[in-house]
Amino acid sequence: MSLSIGLDTAVKALRAHQLAVDIASHNIANVQSPGFSRQRLLLRPVGITNADRNSHDSLLGRAGMGVEASDVRRMRDIFLDFQARQTLGTKGQYSAYSTPLSQAEVVFNDPSDDGISGLLGKFWSAWHDVVNDPESSPARTALAHSTSSLTSRLQRAHADLTQQRTDLNISVSTIAGQINSASSEIASLNFQIKQVELNGTQANDLRDRRDLLLDQLSGLAQINYTEQSDKTVTVYLGNHELVTASTARAVAAVPDTSSVGMNKIIFAADGTDVATNTGELRGVLDARDVQFPSLIAKLNTLAAGLISSINSVHQNGFGLDNSTGNAFFTGTDASNIALNAVIAGNPSKIAAASAAGRPGDGGQALTVANLQLAASMIAGTAAANLAVGETLSAGYTASGVTIGNALQPGTYYMTANGANLDLRYGSAAGPVVGTATLAAMAPGGGSITFMSGANTVATIQVTTALGYSAAAQQTDLLAAGNDTLQTEHSADAFYANLVSVLGADVNSANGLADSSDLLNTHLEQLRQSTSGVNLDEEVSNMNAAQRAYQAAARCITTIDDMLDTLINRTGMVGR
Amino acid sequence: MRITEQSRLSNQVDYLNAASERMDRIQQQLATGKRLQRASDDPSGAALSLSHRKSIAFEAQMRRNMENGIAFLNVTESALGGATELLQRARELSVQGANGTNGPSERKSIAAEVEQIIQSMAQVGNSNFGGTYIFSGFQTQTAAFQVTGTPPTAITYQGDAGLRMHRVSAQDTVPSNVVGSGVFGTVFSDLIALRDNLATNGPVASTSAGIANIDSALGRVLQARADVGARINRFEASRTRSEDTDTSLQDLRANIEDIDLGETIVKMTAQQNALQAALGAIGRNSNNSLLNFLR
Repeated sequence: MSLSIGLDTAVKALRAHQLAVDIASHNIANVQSPGFSRQRLLLRPVGITNADRNSHDSLLGRAGMGVEASDVRRMRDIFLDFQARQTLGTKGQYSAYSTPLSQAEVVFNDPSDDGISGLLGKFWSAWHDVVNDPESSPARTALAHSTSSLTSRLQRAHADLTQQRTDLNISVSTIAGQINSASSEIASLNFQIKQVELNGTQANDLRDRRDLLLDQLSGLAQINYTEQSDKTVTVYLGNHELVTASTARAVAAVPDTSSVGMNKIIFAADGTDVATNTGELRGVLDARDVQFPSLIAKLNTLAAGLISSINSVHQNGFGLDNSTGNAFFTGTDASNIALNAVIAGNPSKIAAASAAGRPGDGGQALTVANLQLAASMIAGTAAANLAVGETLSAGYTASGVTIGNALQPGTYYMTANGANLDLRYGSAAGPVVGTATLAAMAPGGGSITFMSGANTVATIQVTTALGYSAAAQQTDLLAAGNDTLQTEHSADAFYANLVSVLGADVNSANGLADSSDLLNTHLEQLRQSTSGVNLDEEVSNMNAAQRAYQAAARCITTIDDMLDTLINRTGMVGR
Repeated sequence: MRITEQSRLSNQVDYLNAASERMDRIQQQLATGKRLQRASDDPSGAALSLSHRKSIAFEAQMRRNMENGIAFLNVTESALGGATELLQRARELSVQGANGTNGPSERKSIAAEVEQIIQSMAQVGNSNFGGTYIFSGFQTQTAAFQVTGTPPTAITYQGDAGLRMHRVSAQDTVPSNVVGSGVFGTVFSDLIALRDNLATNGPVASTSAGIANIDSALGRVLQARADVGARINRFEASRTRSEDTDTSLQDLRANIEDIDLGETIVKMTAQQNALQAALGAIGRNSNNSLLNFLR
């Protein structure tokens, strides 16, 4: 064998260990880079070639040809990636959902002294003060002021909620933009990775970048992805292709014709709606399309209930100036409820008296103040609903409709459940809140009771001179006009329910956000455990590479010495 | 499990955030004295607290209503007290006048005193409370009794039969006024008849017949005073009940909303220790590196 082979082996070692130091250095440099996967140099011994094996030197086969770097591999567990991206989706969804909900809670700021509930209390009190002193101008002025405080607070809550909903709509457009920038970058990375990896090398850093973008996309919306044999990754958003090879399909936020003033996200090319069950987009849409409209609707129901019930009493009363027929409130809902300007300008027009020419009569004002105690002040607004005294079919009358306080305010729909009835909230497809097991009634009547577990949620009393079969009950109750029930509340109870339901929603959204965050943190740690950089480890690797490099250099020195001996000191016999 | 620089850092940040968040929460609780900052802290508690707050405000208003009613009734009571004294004097005078031994001049001077009583009685009937005529029913801006002629020949009721109702509880309303026409009845015409009979030296029999009228007037006034007294008692009793209710509602509200100061301070100390321990652990741990041992 020739010494130059040893020299060559040593040079290979120098090269390989220098590369190891380079890689450690690259890892250390990226210790804090998000999405970076640590890289490892794979070394393998270089075996003898066939030519060598054919050589006559029998010792040659026993020594190798040194080392070569076979690959620079990034440490990555694609299964963990898959799991982490799922949790990123739920994390994005719940954090995007819980944040605006918490903001909505601040709009109401209750229980507190200056929330809507406090103002409602002051409003009712002011009516009693007018009852106490109907002839007193200060009491009337104070009532006008309390009313204006209440109405402007309701208007502001409405405006704040509407503004927050508009902000959420802007978020929808922003998310569309983020999806586009991520998907177009993935498309271009697909192209680059394909090019780089054509010759079998790994495009580690490009792949890291692409994985980071997939992480981001998973946080934004529900995606599926598969890596193709040409090393490009195909990404689906919902069931629609988002990225194939080096082509990204742009999404766009366009006005939603079914929801005034709101945008929806579509695929720009074919107009398909973007569907997603997770990700920030889902959270934002849930808040924008479910929670906020419901809150605004409840606020409007409260305002409309105050307007209609108080106006109808007030219009029948008489002011100090004998004026009558004046509405107390103007407006139709929380967006425009206001004290009638005529009354605001002249509080003596507050109709405290129940007849003309009675300055000391606070009877009508007392009737208004009594509305505070009326359980039926705030009723639902759907046209068709089962009311007390309603005839179900000939001979059967609903004599009582009771909805328990456990149910939140609103309209409840009865739907068939086999031979029985389900009670659903909000719509005929809404969540089931109770089930009534129907049984034949004896002559005289009986009751149909909706149960949730062991709790009674609603009861319908029926009076009839005849017997009433279970099948007839189902038919009658599902008949149009009989198939809905409405909760009734006093204004205070309705508002308290609004606040506590919102509080429970915020509480559960925060809980979900926290738990998905926790799960995500755990998976991130597992990913980090595989892919993250540990400085001590890199320093050790670098140290080892440095030692190996030094030793290889020593090999060169040794061979150099040997060559020196051979060249300069041989053939000197007798000299 | 491999611990990497990024996961160590993010863990440290997470620990610190969690500890600071708990600290912040306790500080907020201590600063505001409230356990319930938002409805989401305790949704069902929030519903209860709102209901208690509503009831507390309602009860406070009920007490205002009662105080207003009591003030009105106290004025009524003292007016009726005056009316009682006047009627008692009128009775004495009519008994005197009915005595046949009096001559025309003596009867005339009795008539003059009755005239005074009529005037005072009209003033009592027109008593007002802060500009409100208390016996006028709903016509509180109009004097209850109009005096015609000097000396008066007729005194007519100008009010109506309106009862001013005040709510004293969710179930009860109580009137705060006494209607003048009912309590005074025919007292003015009776007194005018007595005066005229005495002044004109009319038949003694008519004078003694008038005593019965004055007795029945006294009876009406005393009946009204008893009624006013009973109503004041009812207001007072309701006020006591309302104050008791208020105390227990405030307790219930405080149980839901307010912090236990001692407990919260102990918690804060514990959290402070935890935060300091976390900071200390991070400080010591982050100095550990292989680099410290290599040269």
